Amino acid sequence: MNNPPLLAPIYLPGQEPLPAGTTPSEREEMAQMMRYQKMLGYAMESCPLKVGMSGGAGFALGGFFALMSATFAYEDPLSRASQKLVGTRAQTAYVFKEMGRNMWSSGKGFAKVGAVYSGIECCIEGYRAKNDITNAVAGGFLAGAVLARHSGPAAMAGGGAAFAAFSGVIDWWLRRPAADEI
Amino acid sequence: MSFLFGGGARQDPGAVDPMKIEMAVAELDMITDVFNRLVNSCHAKCIQPNPMSHRYAEGDLLKGEAVCIDRCSAKFFEVNKVVGEKMQAMGQGAQATGSFGR
Repeated sequence: MNNPPLLAPIYLPGQEPLPAGTTPSEREEMAQMMRYQKMLGYAMESCPLKVGMSGGAGFALGGFFALMSATFAYEDPLSRASQKLVGTRAQTAYVFKEMGRNMWSSGKGFAKVGAVYSGIECCIEGYRAKNDITNAVAGGFLAGAVLARHSGPAAMAGGGAAFAAFSGVIDWWLRRPAADEI
Repeated sequence: MSFLFGGGARQDPGAVDPMKIEMAVAELDMITDVFNRLVNSCHAKCIQPNPMSHRYAEGDLLKGEAVCIDRCSAKFFEVNKVVGEKMQAMGQGAQATGSFGR
């Protein structure tokens, strides 16, 4: 930090008072490090990173759910997973391949949901320049509509409303004052 | 305001000229005053402690607040510049007619 807080920035950019003995190259290095830190800060708060992180988390969550539900698939005689093959090795390979396939498709679905919602909410917040609960509700509505776009306008409206209510409730719960706050 | 900012280098050793020192003090006062006004007005505008919508849940600036502060400070300087230009025009008009009339 080149200025203590509550003071005006009165020094020209290249001439802040640093401890005595800093050579100009050291000064430049420090300035460059500040620039990198600032760029990293911008990147951390940027929309693309949020979309990527939400997509990744959704993928992991979908994979976990599919992993858990793969164990119940063998009870269902009509599903593909309970097909019996000749030999233990072939059966094991088949089981694992089925599990992998289900994990991949379920992960992709959840990743889509997470990425779309996170991206839309980030864009709405960046546009409005406010941090409010209506960001979550509006973002949820648009995300629900986008995810239901193949099923017609009535389904888009219904899906959007449901997703908006869901994400609004979750955001309201996250914003509640904590128990120890005054 | 912008034309003064370029002359902000106070690096002359041994500038004992009292006139220059007074100018430097006045300019420092102006810069500090503008800075404090900018910080106060953008803080009041952008960081709203309304308990239903937002209550300092974390110390970092949220994305909406960061965007708001960028825009607020840009608008502040823009307003400053436009008002300064209008004042200069009014000053020229006053010089021409000899009075600060309307």
